Amino acid sequence: MTSKIINMAERIKDAEDRVLESMFDAAPIADNGFSGQIVKRIRRKLWIRRVTLPLAVLLGLLVAFRPMAAVVKGVYDLLLSMPGDLVPSLAGTLPSLQIIVTGALILVVAMFSLSMLED
Amino acid sequence: MAWGEDHELVARVVSVQDTRAFGELIRRHQSHVRNFLRKLSGDMSAADDLAQDCFMRAWDKLHTYSGRGSFIGWLLKIAYTTFLQSKRKSKRYAEILEQVGHASEAESRTHTMQADETGDLDKFLAVLSEEERAVMVMSYACGLSHREISEATAMPVGSVKSVIFRGKEKIRTSFDIKDHQHG
Repeated sequence: MTSKIINMAERIKDAEDRVLESMFDAAPIADNGFSGQIVKRIRRKLWIRRVTLPLAVLLGLLVAFRPMAAVVKGVYDLLLSMPGDLVPSLAGTLPSLQIIVTGALILVVAMFSLSMLED
Repeated sequence: MAWGEDHELVARVVSVQDTRAFGELIRRHQSHVRNFLRKLSGDMSAADDLAQDCFMRAWDKLHTYSGRGSFIGWLLKIAYTTFLQSKRKSKRYAEILEQVGHASEAESRTHTMQADETGDLDKFLAVLSEEERAVMVMSYACGLSHREISEATAMPVGSVKSVIFRGKEKIRTSFDIKDHQHG
């Protein structure tokens, strides 16, 4: 009720208000490619955002591949060198080093492909 | 393609990042935003740069638009904040230039900001403070209600009313408005 009264009061304009309105009234500004320019900027921004993450991941993988492979190989060798009575069935169940590294890479790529598809 | 209401376009942009829907929102409101910033800054090209920044920010913050008030009110709030921030930045820049002894360069920048045709409206606006100018333009040029102006400027509705009253008073004492009515 109160807000209705306020709105009504706002709508009642005196002559001075009408003169001010006509003074402030300006011709509409033509778009002339203004909106297109902004949309282009936004699309570029979106594209950069989409490309940056996978690129960073790829670079990270390239940089981290050697140390990661060394760590995996170290752990693998350690497990193999353990006495047979401690880990009796380990030697038979562990896959080869190449399979472990390839599996890890496939997992990472699949996870990123999924997240990109979601986007 | 027939586009719907503003809030439908906003929903499309927020949910699927539809840049075409956002382009339509810009096309609908660019005139008001650019007019507002032109009147506030007094410089057409600077105002258009600010309008671009304003729409870029609007894109980033669109998810914060609740849909309660009008979309143009929300946009003008961003435009006003963008204007105030750029003014603060250029003031800081002028101070730095002054400190390193490039006062003339700082001065010329300020002059460029003020350079443009000075019509009747510019004379009216010149007697107003920045705050009064923003509120008066929002009210008389963009047709925003007092409540919408209050949301856009983060001022209580009572203050908006008194700013408008003060602005009108200043214009009245500086110019004879009725003269303008009759040409």
